[in-house]
Amino acid sequence: MLIILKQLFRAAVLICAITLFAGCAATTRTALNYRPGALVETLSSPISLSIHATDSSMGGHGYLIFRRPGQARLLILSPFGTTMMEAFVADGRITLVYPGQMTAYSGRLEELPAKGGLQGWRLMGWVMDAEPPGDKSLNGSVERTARQGFKEKLTFENGLVVSKVSPEGDQVYYDKYVVINGVPVATEVDMRNSRDDRVRMTLDEPEVNTPLEDAAFTPRLEGYTVLPLSAVQGL
Amino acid sequence: MGRLMLVAIILLCSVSLGHARPIAPLDGLEALRKAFAGITDFTADITQEKRLSLMKRTMTMTGTVRFRKPDLFYLEISSPYASRMVLRDNTLEQVMAGGDRNRMVLPPEQGLKRWFSKIAVPITSVPEGMKVQADVSGPVYTVTIAPQGKGQVRELVITFQEDGTVRRLVIAEQNGDRAVMSFRKVRRNVGLAEKDFRLD
Repeated sequence: MLIILKQLFRAAVLICAITLFAGCAATTRTALNYRPGALVETLSSPISLSIHATDSSMGGHGYLIFRRPGQARLLILSPFGTTMMEAFVADGRITLVYPGQMTAYSGRLEELPAKGGLQGWRLMGWVMDAEPPGDKSLNGSVERTARQGFKEKLTFENGLVVSKVSPEGDQVYYDKYVVINGVPVATEVDMRNSRDDRVRMTLDEPEVNTPLEDAAFTPRLEGYTVLPLSAVQGL
Repeated sequence: MGRLMLVAIILLCSVSLGHARPIAPLDGLEALRKAFAGITDFTADITQEKRLSLMKRTMTMTGTVRFRKPDLFYLEISSPYASRMVLRDNTLEQVMAGGDRNRMVLPPEQGLKRWFSKIAVPITSVPEGMKVQADVSGPVYTVTIAPQGKGQVRELVITFQEDGTVRRLVIAEQNGDRAVMSFRKVRRNVGLAEKDFRLD
């Protein structure tokens, strides 16, 4: 059960990355007045998160910060407001922190066990391969070769990517986005993988391109038991 | 006349402000136990403020809570963080704004039953591994519990009235984060039933 939750949580963090790295275009019913080429360099936002797998689920409120190109921190709160779990991603490393157990798991992304639910992280490179929003009149779908070498299908609406589909059937949908200082930011992201796991995340009043301190992306693990990622299973 | 008015104002102020008087830790814990002994359930409006060390702003949520002894807790959060949840000891069920339904099992040490069992019987000594401070101001008690060691919670502060009305709960974490839950419109012993803790 806990393993599944952890895996789902990782998927949730992935979604955050997708949201941000992709420069976050989202489904829009009316054209937004964004600045072509404008990118999310940093983002911080309260979030609501809901994660569903075939045999488990979790959700809650929390907070997300991100800094391009590859730093992210996602935090989920318990009902009483304490930190239930956190994930830190930076420089190809991931650290999962569980304050309730005073335990953290840390390692390189490629060291994650090859189990179900972890495949999401293997998509990291793909979802990070972002491009700024382009021509506002661009609508429809295109198929192209991603930098990772596989074919991907992107759907645009008013110049913004509203969905991405990988050859393995992973799908990401972006919705209800807002323009902040000319930058389009999705406030709802829905990801489904080929095993029908689903992650839905909502941003609330995100702040974009404000300075974020390095320390915010560094886990403070004094007093923690730090284990390798391979130890995640069984907890 | 002016001097008399001044004295009267000073007296009034000193009475209305009230000065917190430190009391023995054990007396604080016993006051907490006695206050809750007469409570079977309560409802309240709440404001939950979460100040994260990494945030420059505070997340503020408002909503309502219901509690029934020994281990049932219902929390409904209003927009923009709309959600409803029931905590049944350490099993959490949740319905998010979009209708997504989640179920989680929290670590046993976060279960309600465990916490309330600690104050179900007379407290004769301060539990080991716990530093306790307490004060009283009129009918209002504040008990500060600081678990010693390296756990997640650095300090838990509960402010309550001697009739069992909870006013405030503060949880400070080792990482500098802080959650404050303030209670308003507290109604005690209203006869909450099982149906009041259903999410359907």
